[in-house]
Amino acid sequence: MSEVFEPRIVAFVCNWCTYLGADLAGTTRLEYPANVRIVRLPCSGRIDFNLLIKAFEIGADAILVSGCHPGDCHYNTGNYHARRRWMVFRPLLEVLGFDMRRLHFTWISAAESRKFQQTVKQVVEETRQLGPYQYPTLPTASSGPGREPQKNHFDPETARQRARALLEAKEVDVVIGYGSSGPVFVRRPEDVDRITCEDTRLNLATYLGRKEVRAMGRVAILTKPMDAGALVVLERESQIESGAVKTIPIGEPGTGTFADLDALLALPPDERMAWWAGEFSRCTRCYACRQVCPMCYCERCVADKNRPVVIDTSPTPVGNFAWHVTRAFHLAGRCVGCGACNHACPVGIDLRLLNMAVHRAVDQNFGFNVGADPKTESPIGSWAPADHEEFIR
Amino acid sequence: MSEFITSDNLRQLAAEWIAQGIRVAGPQRAGGRVLYLPLNDAANLLLDGFIHPANSAKEFLLPKTETLYGYRVEGHDIKLVEEAEAETPQILLAVRPCDVAAFPFLDHIFNWDYADEPYNQRRRNTAIVALSCSTHDANCFCTSVGLGPASERGADVLLVPLTGDTLEVRCVTEKGRSLFAGKTKSDNVAAMSAAGPAPRFAAEAVRKFSAANFEHPLWAEHALACVGCGACAHTCPTCHCFDIVDEHSARVRNWDSCQFSLFTLHAIGHNPRPDQGSRQRQRILHKFSIYPDKFGEILCTGCGNCTRNCPAGLGVLPLLIAIEHEEHLPA
Repeated sequence: MSEVFEPRIVAFVCNWCTYLGADLAGTTRLEYPANVRIVRLPCSGRIDFNLLIKAFEIGADAILVSGCHPGDCHYNTGNYHARRRWMVFRPLLEVLGFDMRRLHFTWISAAESRKFQQTVKQVVEETRQLGPYQYPTLPTASSGPGREPQKNHFDPETARQRARALLEAKEVDVVIGYGSSGPVFVRRPEDVDRITCEDTRLNLATYLGRKEVRAMGRVAILTKPMDAGALVVLERESQIESGAVKTIPIGEPGTGTFADLDALLALPPDERMAWWAGEFSRCTRCYACRQVCPMCYCERCVADKNRPVVIDTSPTPVGNFAWHVTRAFHLAGRCVGCGACNHACPVGIDLRLLNMAVHRAVDQNFGFNVGADPKTESPIGSWAPADHEEFIR
Repeated sequence: MSEFITSDNLRQLAAEWIAQGIRVAGPQRAGGRVLYLPLNDAANLLLDGFIHPANSAKEFLLPKTETLYGYRVEGHDIKLVEEAEAETPQILLAVRPCDVAAFPFLDHIFNWDYADEPYNQRRRNTAIVALSCSTHDANCFCTSVGLGPASERGADVLLVPLTGDTLEVRCVTEKGRSLFAGKTKSDNVAAMSAAGPAPRFAAEAVRKFSAANFEHPLWAEHALACVGCGACAHTCPTCHCFDIVDEHSARVRNWDSCQFSLFTLHAIGHNPRPDQGSRQRQRILHKFSIYPDKFGEILCTGCGNCTRNCPAGLGVLPLLIAIEHEEHLPA
């Protein structure tokens, strides 16, 4: 006897429109498949993508997210925020090779009981065709491209002179520079020779939030061309005051390219997902990627929250997928492309590709330049009426 | 008389082991790094051209994540679901002596007060073929902790590279002899093992300093650059601290790191090691003072992986050198 596959659909719906639509479907005796489990939340803007990942972790085969129509949000703009997050979240999942046919987004009002019924029917039928959702089977070793960590030697002389001048003039109390192996903290003009710029893997802005560094007083840091944007983001997010940190630029700006990302996107989705599964299989959750990131300044990272556990701490396929998606998404409109995470990863996971996916989505969708002006609003956390919604049914 | 094998024949032997269903792991290239990984194709096995893989071979005895048991709620009862891991034989091939020398530490740690069956089961089923080093880099310091490029500690077999494509096979244990029985050729010359790095510090000076200078400013100063990740501990062959979590109806053991701020965070919110200085101090003390005082040996094999993998270029060696310098300063 062959059994018909019954997909499990989790519907995250807002309290004011879609949930009432579903309620109305029930009271008007509109039949729809029992495959759907409804999770009621105050607003579609509350639907954190970690909830979606969690649902897949514990056995969902497809997800339906639904809120009020544009203009109908009971909190005025929650649904616009939800829409905007999806504009970035989807391209990220696409790079990971996630099957986008398992993600559904709709606007359903309290009056649209029939639309709710039809949507659920369609989602169940489409998912039945797709079969059960499975985390990809792991190749035991991945032979992905990867990059050797580059120490990128720079000429230190100009930086030393500037550092000495700043310290002598007592404009700053400490200069954080690059030494022969890792960063050096120079507090006296006679010590500037310790700045040799032989190992420049880090983005030194990552030290600005540390209480030990704050206690030193006024700070100057050496910045590689891509690093300086981090100061703009930190100012935008009220982590540092305007002009409080002096910078000593080193190196000439190069030109970025999305060639590696495009090469990955040229693969079929299931091959992409299998490739990432191999990459993530090497992750031990040492969190070097997070700890070197100037943007990861949260006192307690969502990955370290255990009441309740938001992201599995185990370095399993499930836990590592959740972690790397979360990390990349939390950097949307914030990652400056310095590449410190890539250099820091002991097992050579090409995290840059995830950051690039998010970066490109932010650039293309919102024309947002992360390192330009600290007064511009962050693209996640703001919205526009013109945000496109071709993915919303 | 000594025994020899060519690298081609060694790869062929590895292929035979894989074909027999033995799990074989060894150094390979992945993600722009050299890493110890399970070997699917013996042709990928690296025997030269690297100093030390970026990870350590401990993960084949102490996996980064491991389910200890599952559980199920049945009415008012909780039923344990214990599934013993299958007894799969495994061979760790071409593992650096500094990784291999860590296995006796792990054996001791997982048995001194409580016999850890998941660990012991894997250990029983594991044979270890070490590969001696021909070169070293600035991060290596095995000779400072009483080891060397041709150390046999913990190994069943030690391979020592000769000129050309040949390796001397030094069988240390019966297990090792059975692996290579009939697979080697005999000859009269013996391989010269490399001298290894010159000693970088005196371990005794470190122990003395650590015991007397718990509040020394050196700890905090050195830790300024520490970003607080676990790259050092996770790639260290001797670091073995773990965290126990409940996930998806199972009790799971994962690697932890003393450099994480959460490592010592109490439920009440108090953290007895509130900064990176005290965390770095703990890592040095554990390896060079606490463990030696308790068990008589230094808990470090001088592989240098902590420095190689540190995003900020720290690891234990720069700190140990600084400590020795401090210890020898006139008071």
